[in-house]
Amino acid sequence: MKNNVSHLKLKLNIKNLVILAIATAPLMAVSADDAKAKEAKPQQQPVAAQQADGPNYRNEASFPKIASGKWTGPKLADGQPDISGHWSNTIANHNNFTDPQGGIPNDPAPRRTPLGKREDRAPSRVSDPADGQVPFQPWALEEVKKFQVGFHNPTEPKYIEPLARCAPCGVPKSFYWHGYEIAQYPGYVLFVFNNGTRIIHLDGKPHLPEKVKLWNADSRGHWEGNTLVVDVRNHNGKALFGRSGEFISENGTIQEKYIFSSDRKRFNYEAVFTDPTVYTRPFTVTIPARQWTYEDKPNGWHFEARLAKHAGKEPIVEREERICAENNGGFGLGARK
Amino acid sequence: MNTLRLNTLQRYRPAKFKKVGSALLLLLAVFTFSLVAPSADAHDNKKIPRLANGKPDFSGIWQTTSAADYDLEPHSNRKDAPPGPGIVEGGEIPYLPKALVQRKKNFENRATDDPALKGYTLGVPRAVYYPEPFQIFQRARDLTVVPQFGHSVRTIHTNNTEHPEDPNDWWLGDSRAKWEGDTLVVDAKHFNDKTWLDRSGNFHSDALQVVERWKFLDPNTIEYKATLTDEQVFSKPWNISVILHRHREKNFQLIEDYRYTLDYDQYYPPKPDQK
Repeated sequence: MKNNVSHLKLKLNIKNLVILAIATAPLMAVSADDAKAKEAKPQQQPVAAQQADGPNYRNEASFPKIASGKWTGPKLADGQPDISGHWSNTIANHNNFTDPQGGIPNDPAPRRTPLGKREDRAPSRVSDPADGQVPFQPWALEEVKKFQVGFHNPTEPKYIEPLARCAPCGVPKSFYWHGYEIAQYPGYVLFVFNNGTRIIHLDGKPHLPEKVKLWNADSRGHWEGNTLVVDVRNHNGKALFGRSGEFISENGTIQEKYIFSSDRKRFNYEAVFTDPTVYTRPFTVTIPARQWTYEDKPNGWHFEARLAKHAGKEPIVEREERICAENNGGFGLGARK
Repeated sequence: MNTLRLNTLQRYRPAKFKKVGSALLLLLAVFTFSLVAPSADAHDNKKIPRLANGKPDFSGIWQTTSAADYDLEPHSNRKDAPPGPGIVEGGEIPYLPKALVQRKKNFENRATDDPALKGYTLGVPRAVYYPEPFQIFQRARDLTVVPQFGHSVRTIHTNNTEHPEDPNDWWLGDSRAKWEGDTLVVDAKHFNDKTWLDRSGNFHSDALQVVERWKFLDPNTIEYKATLTDEQVFSKPWNISVILHRHREKNFQLIEDYRYTLDYDQYYPPKPDQK
């Protein structure tokens, strides 16, 4: 692929790509519009309007801490806490990693609603250090700043957010990109994301050889009470953390804790990111999530599901196929054939 | 285990029947044999893995050793394929005349037009015999099939649910299954027309319907059969059959293969020496 793609061409592509292809039309027209609006014009998401639309679990300004400890909820036959179901983050999408409800950095488009005070918005996903910023080394911070400018008018391929090309969201972006399903099996926890799949191995087998690098990395986990502890390696570092351009490299490792409340309504993702080639010190990322059930209305962003057709009376929730197809190739070229 | 139990029975029997007359013994022996023979089969069946609800448990990582993906039909070797006897019952796919023209065109252009080369989701049934492993995760309510290639997720529902009333054209279709004894019978339809059936250009339309039969031959081998119907492309339904083998290598696991990202992989993430 040539690097010197013309400015105009990239711009046109971006326009096409920003609305990510979803292979299946969402169930409800309203949901589809909702998802598109969020993707295409995220700066126009009126927070207040979203809140008026129901409980404020899509744009929470704050969220409860969940303590690691005993699991008192139901368990599966193999002893795992039963947390299977449909989940989604409660604060915002991938527009901005450290100011999740603050819009895309340097966005030239005017906001529909005023941004307001920082303390009225959800906290940074970086929960340690206290300043909420990723402790980047100077060269890496410079790259992130360049990305935050280039993103709005990409003159080089590296300024295209890889998700706009249908690349998997990777770790950690998958946890704030659409809702996802968690399924559990003896020896496994399976994450089925809107864009990508993650298999957490619970059987203690060794990690893949270091040379194998993956978008969703390689995960080994175990349960400690209400907490799924996962050791993440073999990350290829390519997915970026969002439209604000933060990143980890292929040398990084991540120690994840998924701390579930025993009522199965919420979990908090708390993960320590370590990468001596990019950061000056390890830092902690915190992402809140809530469970969605049949009692919730399907939602083209958080809950891409439907009720199954069947003769019985009990509601059975089914997740729809999510395959990012429109741009299943470099720069959209692959899909044109 | 099985052998041991049979041996025990055989050793035990003569002692018990010593006092019985020889004719009666013979009669009993024949009778017993007729009982023992089927129960040996039953023992074999019991050895296959099962879920708590007694249904066969196909959980595991599977792969075919056949050359099916190169060409479903019988073919000699060529530069881009090993020879193969094909896996189509009767040898040939019954194309409608118009479709046969398209199939030939696909074959000519296979080096560029095969959707798998672009990293597209393989579809059904191709994901089953594509030469990369796939993993089945199974619960009472469904089987989740995750191919290494593309990592796109297919759900086969086994909870008496039906095809949706407002279907889309899905890459992997909509799969509803029932158990016929120990055979999983899957009805899959509502596909899009963007996938091929192999890399030689065999294809289908969005009218494709696939009825699959998954059955254990032994605990580490699945016999997979499928009937393909597509009145836009085929003159009649046709059948394929492959054998799937369980990966038993120590610590074997899927390694995600998002092939379609390779064109732009190089641009991420930023590197210290980048200017």
